[in-house]
Amino acid sequence: MRSTSRRGHWRVLLAVSLTLVLAVAVAACGDDDDDGGGGGGGGGGGKSMTLIAGVKGDEFYITMNCGAQEEAKKLGVSLDFQGPNEFDAAQQTPIVNAVAAKKPDAILVAPTDTKAMYAPIKQAADAGSKIVLVDTTLEDSSLAASQIASDNEGGGRSAAETLSKLIGGQGKVFVVNVKPGISTTDARAEGFEAGAKEAGLDYIGQEYSQDEPAKAASIVKSILAKNPDLKGIFATNLFSAEGAASGLREAGKLGEVKIVGFDAGPKQVEDLKQGLVQALIAQRPAQIGALGVQQAVNALDDKPVKEKIGTGFVSITKDNLDQNQDALYKASC
Amino acid sequence: MRALRGANFSVLPGEVVALVGDNGAGKSTLVKTLAGVHRPDSGEILFEGRSVQIGSPLEARALGIETVYQDLALAADLDPAANLFMGREVLRGGLIGKLGFLNNSEMHRRAAEAFTSLGIGLQDSTAPVATMSGGQRQGVAVSRAVTWASKVVFMDEPTAALGVVQTRHVLDLIRSVREQGLSVVLISHNMPEVFEVADRIEVLRLGERVAQLKRQDVTMEDVVGAMTGAIKQEA
Amino acid sequence: MSTATTPDEALPDEEVQPRPPWWQRFVTGSSTWIGLILVGLILVFSTLEYDSFVSASNARNVATDAAVLLVLAVGMTFVIVTAGIDLSVGAVLVFSGVISARLMNAVGGNDWGTILIGLAGALGAGLAWGTLNGFLIAKAKIPALIVTLGTLGMALGGALLITGGVDEREVPFKLIDTIGIGRVFDQIPYLVIIAFTVAIVFGVVLAATRFGRNTYAIGSNEEAARRAGINVDRHLVKVYALAGTLSGLAGFMNLARFGTTTIGGHNTDNLQAIAAVVIGGTSLFGGVGTVLGSVFGVFIPAVLQNGFVITGVQPFWQQVAVGAVLIGAVYLDQLRRRSQHQR
Repeated sequence: MRSTSRRGHWRVLLAVSLTLVLAVAVAACGDDDDDGGGGGGGGGGGKSMTLIAGVKGDEFYITMNCGAQEEAKKLGVSLDFQGPNEFDAAQQTPIVNAVAAKKPDAILVAPTDTKAMYAPIKQAADAGSKIVLVDTTLEDSSLAASQIASDNEGGGRSAAETLSKLIGGQGKVFVVNVKPGISTTDARAEGFEAGAKEAGLDYIGQEYSQDEPAKAASIVKSILAKNPDLKGIFATNLFSAEGAASGLREAGKLGEVKIVGFDAGPKQVEDLKQGLVQALIAQRPAQIGALGVQQAVNALDDKPVKEKIGTGFVSITKDNLDQNQDALYKASC
Repeated sequence: MRALRGANFSVLPGEVVALVGDNGAGKSTLVKTLAGVHRPDSGEILFEGRSVQIGSPLEARALGIETVYQDLALAADLDPAANLFMGREVLRGGLIGKLGFLNNSEMHRRAAEAFTSLGIGLQDSTAPVATMSGGQRQGVAVSRAVTWASKVVFMDEPTAALGVVQTRHVLDLIRSVREQGLSVVLISHNMPEVFEVADRIEVLRLGERVAQLKRQDVTMEDVVGAMTGAIKQEA
Repeated sequence: MSTATTPDEALPDEEVQPRPPWWQRFVTGSSTWIGLILVGLILVFSTLEYDSFVSASNARNVATDAAVLLVLAVGMTFVIVTAGIDLSVGAVLVFSGVISARLMNAVGGNDWGTILIGLAGALGAGLAWGTLNGFLIAKAKIPALIVTLGTLGMALGGALLITGGVDEREVPFKLIDTIGIGRVFDQIPYLVIIAFTVAIVFGVVLAATRFGRNTYAIGSNEEAARRAGINVDRHLVKVYALAGTLSGLAGFMNLARFGTTTIGGHNTDNLQAIAAVVIGGTSLFGGVGTVLGSVFGVFIPAVLQNGFVITGVQPFWQQVAVGAVLIGAVYLDQLRRRSQHQR
């Protein structure tokens, strides 16, 4: 009697295992990315590229991908989009490694750490893929054909200018930053600090939100508790700005304390419309993406490549929102 | 909550003593105390004339006392041999043994011997005990106690959940254990069983001993009477 | 008297069946099926994307990416076999990495002596947290879920306090160069060798030593183990101490690989390790499981992620797939238990 139940038990195991493996096969074969690239690249002379974001669900990178996809279509390139769950080197590394195994013609990547991501990206470069660094960069960027990023320091200064105007030219200001070691946000914070001091503002410091909105919110609440006369906040990226606004709302200081955020995601634009945030410094992620594809194609075609490109930014307020619709970030292409 | 109030108990070498009493009389508690699972608040334990402390199951084992608990105390996911040797594993010789490596083939061999000699049949001796019938599991638990005991085996309600045929096996086991020279203390509320195997009967009521009876001198009614308090013998 | 024949009546004088040979025991083992699923996945991805998926460098990368989690999963196997749980592994990993980095920087230098001091620091920190876990669980009788949740917070908080929330990014270059990215025979990364050595050593301990046997006994029936004379409290302390020490080793390996303490990147390590162990056939109820199964359980999500990226599947599907495999594994465990307890 026991032997039959064992046999039946094995049958169930077999059925479940096969189903599992088949389901994976179907998912892998049948998946049609809405960003136009299946595995293996296009046939003929089409080039294959992958864009690796710093983090998956971030509208900045999604917009970058949209811009890149448009350019890719124009140039006949097939472009994949990948990214880790969190903005972290330990999580981005397996993805870079897997992409490297595909040996795409080019990889556009936003490194999540200036040092730690060097090894895996180098490995991909050694395997033959052209590397273009987008947004963030590496300490040793010699392996890249091109680096494209916003002039983040200038952006930070612009934020200081904007904030100064909003708070009447004087008062305490604070920075909610992301994580140390990220080239872009560090540059923004530096630019802001310099600009704020030049403008005569009282710069009281910065804290790191670890790219978590909840953390940013609690940082803001603590700083307010210590400095009830705080006048302005500069948040250096999307998640930090979101969190900072939540923090102010929870502390009941919305509108009183002015926020200038970096990045113009849908939620931040909402916040801007509602007056929770007073200004947004928007980058041009779509442009970064498009330029990345362009430069990669140039590198592959042995045409001249621009080693460093700095893209600009737009200062968006409630007043000029309508004119700057195309500068806003998208949640999907 | 006091389960025992000045309970007395005694067992002589080579005899089967039945410890009876109604529910809540304190039988299991008394046995667990003597097996080292519980510690008594007061009282004395004399073993072969010496006063001893039984503070843990290990100390009871060292005296040669083994127990078949009411819940069997078997590890369901381990096989019968592993259960037999739980806490007393056979290690390999030499340096490897010192590192703790088990001698599984030896344990299986000895376990097979023990089971066969006690008439317990197992279809697959590497299967976890959980796949076995209640009677087989009981057999493993009894084998374990009997294999290791050198003086006394306590059995707490060993047939409570068993069918007729399996009960027969256990009673035969008890007799063969006695024949090997060990003593058996059998807790049971099943009078016919008691009268089948026991030499003496001790009655517990509300945590105290109320009677010590020789099985051949009494009837079942006498015993039940002592259990319920109708008859009082011990001062 | 009953006249019906029951299995018991048919058997009384039969000999006990001899033990099946080792290969038969292996095939019917709980980890074999998971191994087959892993092989199946590898075959599927190999068929779909042969050139990219099947290459020494890809295999090397997958193994290296999985090495740290594998070390965590080995420790977690022991814990879960005792019917316990350890949520603090990721936090202890981070804390140990921080201690190790700080020690090495304090001592200075770029030689093996410094590196060994760093290793000792990491292992010591892990051992301390693990022993604390074991003590609170075994002696103070606080549920493992609560205790390890608490030490998770304390270890992570401790790491943040020590570093001020900023990753330690100065690590002796020799460490990164040798253990971090170095390879034996220019083929197999040191990290992979360390991870597999840990798996083999402790896999053997669990399967063939008294320590392993006691672990199973306690997980299967703690009270029975106590009554059999096993010192359950002391054993549990050792098991959690082992998990903690291995977390410390994982922290050191992580530091060697990335050259930074990656404080923010290990928040889900505990769940990943638990998932790997459960997928590998270890039961959350204790008493059943193998290190080999956990090895398979670590590689199934790793291969899934690698294969999905290579075949261009939407990243979010990976999480769906791993979740489904996990539920499937627990369901199979339930089936097996139910069929056993039918009598």
